[in-house]
Amino acid sequence: MHIYGAKQLQEDVFGQDLCIGCGACIDLCPYFKSHNGKTTLVFPCDLSEGRCYAYCPKAEVDLDELSRQAWDGPYTGRSLGNFREIIATRAGKKMSNGNFQAGGTVSSLVASALKHHRIDAAILTDRDGLKPVPRRVTDWREVVRCAGSKLMVSPTLAAMNHGLRDGFSCLGVVGTPCQMTAVAKMRGNPMSKENFADPIALTIGLFCNWSLDARQLASFLSEKTDVSGIRGMDIPPPPANVMVIETGNGQLEIPLSEIKPLIPPTCFICLDMTSEWADVSVGMFEGRPGWNTLIIRSEKGAELVQQARDAGFLETGGMPVDTHMHLSNAALEKKQRSLRTLIRRELINNNNDKRSALRVAPGIVQKILGSKTERP
Amino acid sequence: MTDLLAHQEGARCLLMGNEAMARGALEAGVNVAAGYPGTPSSEIIENLANAAQNGRLYVEWSTNEKVALEVAAAASFAGLRSLCVMKQNGVNVASDFLLHLAGSGTRGGMVLVACDDPGALSSVNEGESRHFARLVEIPLLEPGGFQEALDMMKWAFALSEKIRNIVMVRSVTRLSHASGNVVLGPLPGVDAQAVFRYNGNILDPMEGPVISMPVTAKHGLQQKKLRQAVALFDASPFNTYTGPDAPEILCITASAGYLYSKEAIDLLGLEDRVGLLKLGTTWPLPSRLLAKYLALTHQILIVEEVTSFLEDNVKILAAGMGPEIGVKTIFGKTDGTIPSVGELNPDIVIHALLKITGVDYQGVPADYTQRAETIADTGAPARDLTFCPGCPHRASFWSIHMALQMDNRQGFVCGDIGCYSLAIFPTGFSTLKTVHSMGSGTGIASGFGKLGPFGMNQPVLAVCGDSTFFHAVLPALVNAVHQRSEITLVVLDNSGTAMTGFQPHPGLSVDASGNAVPGLDIARICEAIGAGVRVCDPFDLETTRQTLFDLLESRGGVNVLILKKRCALSPERKARKDFKMSVDQAVCLGSNCGCNRLCTRIFRCPGLIWNKEKKMTEIDEVICVGCGVCASICPSGAVVKKEKA
Ligand SMILES: Cc1cc2nc3c(=O)[nH]c(=O)nc-3n(C[C@H](O)[C@H](O)[C@H](O)COP(=O)(O)OP(=O)(O)OC[C@H]3O[C@@H](n4cnc5c(N)ncnc54)[C@H](O)[C@@H]3O)c2cc1C
Ligand code: SF4
Ligand code: SF4
Ligand code: SF4
Ligand code: SF4
Repeated sequence: MHIYGAKQLQEDVFGQDLCIGCGACIDLCPYFKSHNGKTTLVFPCDLSEGRCYAYCPKAEVDLDELSRQAWDGPYTGRSLGNFREIIATRAGKKMSNGNFQAGGTVSSLVASALKHHRIDAAILTDRDGLKPVPRRVTDWREVVRCAGSKLMVSPTLAAMNHGLRDGFSCLGVVGTPCQMTAVAKMRGNPMSKENFADPIALTIGLFCNWSLDARQLASFLSEKTDVSGIRGMDIPPPPANVMVIETGNGQLEIPLSEIKPLIPPTCFICLDMTSEWADVSVGMFEGRPGWNTLIIRSEKGAELVQQARDAGFLETGGMPVDTHMHLSNAALEKKQRSLRTLIRRELINNNNDKRSALRVAPGIVQKILGSKTERP
Repeated sequence: MTDLLAHQEGARCLLMGNEAMARGALEAGVNVAAGYPGTPSSEIIENLANAAQNGRLYVEWSTNEKVALEVAAAASFAGLRSLCVMKQNGVNVASDFLLHLAGSGTRGGMVLVACDDPGALSSVNEGESRHFARLVEIPLLEPGGFQEALDMMKWAFALSEKIRNIVMVRSVTRLSHASGNVVLGPLPGVDAQAVFRYNGNILDPMEGPVISMPVTAKHGLQQKKLRQAVALFDASPFNTYTGPDAPEILCITASAGYLYSKEAIDLLGLEDRVGLLKLGTTWPLPSRLLAKYLALTHQILIVEEVTSFLEDNVKILAAGMGPEIGVKTIFGKTDGTIPSVGELNPDIVIHALLKITGVDYQGVPADYTQRAETIADTGAPARDLTFCPGCPHRASFWSIHMALQMDNRQGFVCGDIGCYSLAIFPTGFSTLKTVHSMGSGTGIASGFGKLGPFGMNQPVLAVCGDSTFFHAVLPALVNAVHQRSEITLVVLDNSGTAMTGFQPHPGLSVDASGNAVPGLDIARICEAIGAGVRVCDPFDLETTRQTLFDLLESRGGVNVLILKKRCALSPERKARKDFKMSVDQAVCLGSNCGCNRLCTRIFRCPGLIWNKEKKMTEIDEVICVGCGVCASICPSGAVVKKEKA
């Protein structure tokens, strides 16, 4: 993977409006800061190579390299990435009730991992009114407090950087696919640090088609409701075509057409819908409220799920073929859409010193673009 | 500071130009002196304030120059002798009152001293106060040496009483701040009585109400008196001629130009060819005297600094006297013989004379300075203008810069006049984006803050110092509140007029002579005006930044953040270290990714040094004043502060 410094990150990512605000570059040093959902370089840094660039999920991401590191093989371009099994899950009896986004699978898995000391701390995303706030949790009983999706860009990985700085060496991280990409880049020890030991013991990725710009959403919603009273938000499956906001006094429905302009442009260059670099990935279960879709990818992930189920943290069920196919099609469509944008914007596989957001083997690009969505 | 009262008549002393002028005022028996600090003028009031402690003399640092002129005028109206002192652009501030004062006339001798700063050594302008004398029609005197500075001051008071109007004396940095030998005159006894008479006829200059009306009548009277002054000027010993009876070139000059011209003529050995007419009375010009000397030759060189004030006035006179004195070739600024910007020096005059005479002379070539600077640049590292170690402004601008960057809406700061103007440079993280006159930062911000309807959504900030706040920010702040402008004003309150040497201002509870006076509370004033007010210690970076975020996000009107910390050089903080600082070399990240020398590359307090060999940061014990701020910015906790017992 090519590594550059803050100056190049500023040009490549901020200059091309590609920053998602994931937090991977935040507080590694004094130069990158996050405030109200926006990341900024506060003072110039002139190093030619740095961790900011090395970890950023929007700068020189080499999918083959990530794939070799995670799955011992090149990137295949499969719609749902590398996985062992896809099942339906929800919180088990052992889990206290929470304001879960769907089935509470994420919270349950994190709680179980903490309780069984698979991890020392979990990097989660809490909320302060509307605003997503990174949170480090060490007590399994506190995990539910971070339940519920904040459908916005969140600098969650800043909390991972703080955790590493504070000496944690066995972290679990929950995040969106871009955040999982950043974590994967970091775990590859891109700066070739001596005595590097992978400090991440567990990654739980979320499904994500797009997120929303935190500032724009705040100013948009502040005209409709008191944003400090917002308790949750959801995008029910089609044909609803609305975003539902839970407030102190009831629900607010906003047509998706009004919400979509608030999607940051960088979401349209993102290939990954299902967090392909995580140990497990969790999303909604279309058509079965109160349940999640769980993709088990790694051996570690399988062990985690097994243990959570055995300990009563997780309940599992089967996944109908139709649902699987739907998911796979949606993931493929995202890949195709984003590849076209990457190519149009000249952000992929550039040669001759021109830096790229993404590098994918050209054959794989053709394969993805040539694939057809499946029909039942 | 020299004790100006200590020496007796006839004593020969080494005095700074400003001290000589202050002594001149004392010898003239000045009763009241007022001014506003500004380099190069400040030492005049400072020395008088010192003298005021043991005499019947009232001295004040006024809120601004206009008020200073008004305070001094009152003393004159009451029959006392009064002096008012300011720097060049201060006259702009005072000028509205000056115009009306010139119209109403004065009673007790009243002198306005303006010290200009050619080359802008301590200014953000090269403004010229001389034009005001012509504009408001009052006499202008310009000393051309140290003795003359003293003598001319004395004479100015007498002249003022003769023509019953204010007299302007103009100095420049090189005269005000250089020192020379001066023979002192006697100090008068003090017996002045102040009484304001107003029952006489409106046209009676000594007994009637003091007013510029009826305007045309009073204006006519003023001009008549000015013509009387010209008659006095024609015979004045301050205008001197040295040189041959029939010079090839007549060099007309004044002020510091005289010293440069004399030296140039000496160096070139042109005493037999060039006549030097030094004018001490430069407005209105002594026309008879000029007619006499202009008639001597047809080649005239006019040597003066910055604009062509003298040159233009001589040309007008010469044109009018054409039939009498003949056609002249006038060299000066208009034809480019003398530059129109920057200070003069003997070399410039030498090159002017060479151009006119064609004399061959191997002095310092014209591009010497430039070449010398280029060579010096390669040898010695360039030194930036920088805030002092432990300066509260560095910490304040750190937080302001950081908050604006993180806020990420292209917010900006309108600057003002004070040490903190340096924040246009990297020492203040290049935070200031406009700097003009005193108080203008807030006024400009007030205007920016109304541009929302035109699509401007950048946060607008202004900064000002505590002294500037009282000087001219107040009306702008009132405007911003009243007009519902959306701005944040940051008052950098370092408890004194630090830039010019800690003169007190209305926010402090001590006056120019050290007496106790009521100090005004900036926070309460702002609250009363209707602004939201917060106060922080700028050394508490975290709280300051958080407060700035709150203010940037709060919608609605004007907010004021007062960042209060004494100047590092203030008598209270000087030589007192709060902390003993050290750098833990085992922890310091140096130039590695994770820090990249934040302290010595960006924060750049002079107390921090980068050890190139060890690739580590160290504290320079001699320079560090122990403020402890660098410990708050270090990302790794390598900078350790230990409380001093
Ligand atoms: C921006 C975003 C977009 C999404 N888009 C889709 C989608 O298109 N399709 C789909 O099936 N699912 C999507 N999801 C995932 C879905 O909303 C649920 O998070 C997922 O189904 C898990 O549900 P749960 O009940 O197990 O979660 P819970 O048990 O309620 O736990 C939710 C977890 O998500 C984490 N989290 C919340 N907000 C954020 C955030 N902004 N960034 C990082 N982590 C966060 C919290 O730390 C918490 O642990 C999205 C999630 C996010 C944050
Ligand atoms: S690492 Fe994340 S927050 Fe930083 S520049 Fe990249 S996308 Fe933005
Ligand atoms: S190169 Fe290193 S020190 Fe510089 S901004 Fe990036 S992470 Fe920070
Ligand atoms: S800021 Fe701290 S870590 Fe960085 S160079 Fe200075 S002392 Fe070292
Ligand atoms: S403590 Fe740090 S910031 Fe303060 S004067 Fe010393 S070196 Fe400078």
